[in-house]
Parts: sequence; structure tokens; C-alpha cells
Amino acid sequence: MTFAVDFENVSRHFDAVKAVDNVSLQIEEGEFFAMLGPSGSGKTTCLRLISGFDRPTSGHIKIFGETSDDLPPNRRAVNTVFQDYALFPHMNVRDNVAYGLMVKGEDKSTRLSKADEMLALVKLDAFGDRKPGQLSGGQRQRVALARALVNQPRVLLLDEPLGALDLKLREQMQEELKSLQKTLGITFVFVTHDQGEALSMADRVAVFNEGRIVQIGTPHEIYEAPRTRFVADFVGSSNVLPPELSARLGGSAKWSSLRPEAISITAPEHAKASGTVKSVRYLGSVNQITLQLDEHEISVSSPVGVALPVIGQTAGLVWKDAALHAMDDA
Amino acid sequence: MSSADTNHQSLTGRISDVLWRKPRLLLALLLLPPLLWLGVIYIGSLIALLVQSFFSIDEFSGLIRYELTLKTYGELFRPANYDIIIRTVLMASTVTIASAIVAFPIAYYAARYARGRMKALFYIGVMLPLWSSYLVKVYAWKLILAKEGIITWMVDSVGLGFLLDILLRIPIIGGNSLSVSYIGTFLVFLYVWLPFMILPVQAALERVPGNLLEASSDLGASNRQTFRHVIVPLALPGIVAGSIFTFSLTLGDYIIPQIVGSSRLFIGQAVYAHQGTAGNIPLAAAFAVVPIVIMAGYLWMAKKQGAFDAL
Repeated sequence: MTFAVDFENVSRHFDAVKAVDNVSLQIEEGEFFAMLGPSGSGKTTCLRLISGFDRPTSGHIKIFGETSDDLPPNRRAVNTVFQDYALFPHMNVRDNVAYGLMVKGEDKSTRLSKADEMLALVKLDAFGDRKPGQLSGGQRQRVALARALVNQPRVLLLDEPLGALDLKLREQMQEELKSLQKTLGITFVFVTHDQGEALSMADRVAVFNEGRIVQIGTPHEIYEAPRTRFVADFVGSSNVLPPELSARLGGSAKWSSLRPEAISITAPEHAKASGTVKSVRYLGSVNQITLQLDEHEISVSSPVGVALPVIGQTAGLVWKDAALHAMDDA
Repeated sequence: MSSADTNHQSLTGRISDVLWRKPRLLLALLLLPPLLWLGVIYIGSLIALLVQSFFSIDEFSGLIRYELTLKTYGELFRPANYDIIIRTVLMASTVTIASAIVAFPIAYYAARYARGRMKALFYIGVMLPLWSSYLVKVYAWKLILAKEGIITWMVDSVGLGFLLDILLRIPIIGGNSLSVSYIGTFLVFLYVWLPFMILPVQAALERVPGNLLEASSDLGASNRQTFRHVIVPLALPGIVAGSIFTFSLTLGDYIIPQIVGSSRLFIGQAVYAHQGTAGNIPLAAAFAVVPIVIMAGYLWMAKKQGAFDAL
């Protein structure tokens, strides 16, 4: 089977820094794939290796079965939506969108009408004559998207495309991107450090840490069954329990993860464990309660409306057995 | 509290309070001296010059007639004078185009690749020639370009002397040696004004984000296409700014063509000659207006062509 993007033991080292370290990864055609990780984890470098702005130190990258190691960016069937959009400031929006067609030699009327179609798709039909400097961040984002899509790439690469937008707009764009990807049916590879974004949009997520992939799976798998302490903590900030505590709480003697929202507060007498309430923080939709269990801190997300324990008193904790998830390795 | 009180009582304290309340007054006070200098001394003398150019000289008495007339401008179109203008404009254009071509790769390297120590070296390398006297440099070039100079010697010693001979045998731009030919004048102009082209082009390129170049190649553009459609348009304000320097400095210079080159005059030399020994101030003024008009026309054209759109 041919994959849209296929990493075979790819490394990219900058002198002593292993930005990408022996990564193997297959992205299927038509998939919405997220690369998730903190800054410096190698996810953006991976994207740049696909687009061709950077070349692997070792290993090979195939794009639709074709080894792309020696292909310059302008000869790859991929297009990129840049983090800060990278729109050409001296061209109007329509010319920006038509740029890819222009350099391929399409005649003026064809390329401008295709650009207008694409602008209509991203709901910016009325803005063709403006300069990028006259647009808001969200509009620029859409222009960047249209400019990439007009070339009919087989893979669209998105580098933190929503990072610069405010929360409301970001949520709206998340939905739009998702539905756009469904309509077009092309492969999206999306780089983000925002776990909420990755979980809500992607079909599959690769979690990066220190140049390596620590886990690949569906958002559900990543969230419910984190493979390492890093994944548990980075994706949704879980309670990461050391082996002895996990065993004491009825789990296996391994590092384990217990999601804050999987725990409920109850009276100490029917509880699986109990601890001293250290703090209660109101976060709008939930209250975040921190309890002290011996030398460990456990955090609990409790829906607003549920009675709150009093700080300094002992409270009991219950959870479903399956919620205490043992991880493969540390 | 007490310190604030003393501030209020002292004169400087009160003045500073007034200036804080009226920031525009402060701005006006700061701008007054430079505006007086520019407005009265600079613009004033320019207007005086303009007015002079509309007077004429009495051919018999050699005295200036203070009546407004276009007669002096008419004289500019006499073949001898017209030649001077054409010669100067051609030289200025050639120097400008050549400095843009020579400056671009240097500026591009400095803006995109040079970092830290290399960048400091670049600035020193570009600015160093500006630290020494202009006259010294021009005379140095006269020696370099002379028949007995290092260029002739080097070309001869590698056996390519015939090439230099062919070059010097080209009519009009050739001559007995490089130092008495237009080629020599051109080389010295190019050398002396080059920093004024490199620096603005480098500043313009510095402001082009690297990801625009990546975006261009990501969208399928070859390096040549990226250069033509992204780099050059964005560097254009810098090239135009640099060309204003090289073009106007060449148009007005009267020392370089006097030291290196043929004896045929450039505008600057004509102005010098007419206002000095010939005592024809109106014609000198009319000659001096020519570069101003050319530059105004050039800037108007550059603006129409969209050279400043990327600013």
C-alpha cells in the first residue's frame, strides 16, 4: 500500500542537536493527521522535511511512493500554510492566491478565475483587491489556505495555522478546516502544540517529544491510553502516578495515569482513597480541586454545581477501575 | 511629596510641566532649528537659484538682465550644452544600473546570510571607503587606471594586453588609456557611489521575511521566478532609494570627470565653469536645474511604476 507520506528512519541533526531522531511514520491518503508536541520537539522540522525546506541527515521520505530526497520544494505535490501566513505583501489577495498558478504558466484569465473560486470557498470573494496588510488575522489565514489549495496539492501541510488567532476564531476555524478537509478529501498534516486542537480535529495524532514520536494513535487512544508519562501529562494534564501509588490504589505496579475528570469527590467512608483538600480553583466550567495523598498531589476536575469539599478537610475519591490506566514505560 | 513641591517651584521644573501638558509645543521647539536651517538656508537658496535661471545675460556687456525670460533655458538646447546634458544623463544611468547589478549580490548576502562577525565585517567593508577623502580616492584611481598603472601592468603580464587595447579602441568610450576615457570615469563613479546603493538595498532585503521565499518555492516557483516575482519587487524601494543617490550624485559631480576622463564636460563642470570664470550665473543656474527636473521626473515615474508600493 502506498502512503501519502512515508518516513523511513528519518533523522535531522543540527550539529549535536537531534531535532528529528530516527522517526518512522506513515500517513495515509485522505487522513487528517496531527503532529503534536511542545516547542522544540521536532514536529515542525518533520513538516519542513515533507515540504522540502529541509533535508534529512539520514533516512528517506516518500511522498505517494516517490522518494523525495532530491526534490526541491517547488517540485513536490505538497503545499504549506505557514505559521504567520507568509502572504506576499506587494500583491493583492487575488494575485497571492493565483501565484502558484502563475509560476506554472497558466494564463491570466484562467488563474484569476480559479483564484476567485478558491476565495469563494474560503468566503473571501469580496476581498480579492485588498492587500494582505488590510486584512485581519483570520482573513489572512483563509487567504493562505486558498493560496495553498488552489494548486490542488495531494498533501496540505499546516504549520500551527491557528496559533495567532484568538480563541473564538480558532474554534470556528477548527471546524471549518475539518469540514474543508472532508469536502476536498486530501491529506492534511497539521502541526500544533495545542492538544485540544489535535484531539478535536485529527483522525490520528503523533505525539512528539525530543525529536522522537512517543505515541501514534487516534485521539481517543492518545487520551484514554497514553503510552508514557510524557503523553499522559502533555495531552490533557493527567495525574501521573508512580508504581507504588498505583498499586496501592488498586492498579498495577506500573506508572499509571488517572484523568482528573475521571475522579469524583465523595465521603471518605465509601472512597477508594482519601486525601486532604489543598486548594479549590474555579475555572468556569469546572472546579479544579487539588488533594494531598501522603506525599502525592492529585488533581480532580469536578463539574460546577457538585458540592465542594472544604479546604483542609479530608475528602474521598472514587473512579471507575478502567480509568486507572497503566502505561507501557516511564 | 517634598521633592515634587520643589520641582514645581524651580523654573526648569515649571517649564518641564508645561511641556508635558503641551507635547506639541515641545515638538515645535525641537523642530524649529532644523526647519529654520532647511527652510531658510536650503530651500531659500534653491529658490534663489531657480529665480536666477529665469534671468539672462546681456551678450554685449556681460551683465545680468533682471527680467524674467526663458532665453537661458533655450541656451541649454544649443548643441554644445545639450551634449553635456545627454553625456551626463547617460553616464548617471549607466553608473546607476551597474551599481544596482554589482550591489545586489553583496546586499543579498549581507541581508540573508551574514551573521555576527561577518555582518560587522560587511558594514566595515562597505563603509570603510567612505572614511577616506574623496579626492584621495579619485587620485588613487587615476594612478590605478593610468597607462603605467597597475591595471595595464597586470593585464599585460598575463598576456591579455590586446583585450585592453581593443576595449580602448572602441570609439567614444575608449581613449589613450583608461584614465582618460569614459570607461575610467565610469569605473571611478561606480566605485565611489557603490556604498550608497548597497546600504539601502541591504536594508530593504533585510525586511523581507525568509518565509516569503519559502512560500514562493512551496507554491512551485523556481529560484529565478522567486527572484523576479518576490525578491526584486520587495527590494525595489531599496534599489530606487539607492539609485536616487547614485543617479543624483553622478549628475552633480564635477570633480571625478575633471580628474579621470576625457576633457569633455559634465553638467557639474559646466555649472562650475559658468558661475566662475565665465560669470554666466543664469546659465549656471539653468544647468543646475536640469538634475532637479530629471530627478523629479525619475521619482514620479518610479512611483507610477509602483516602486514604493511595498513600503
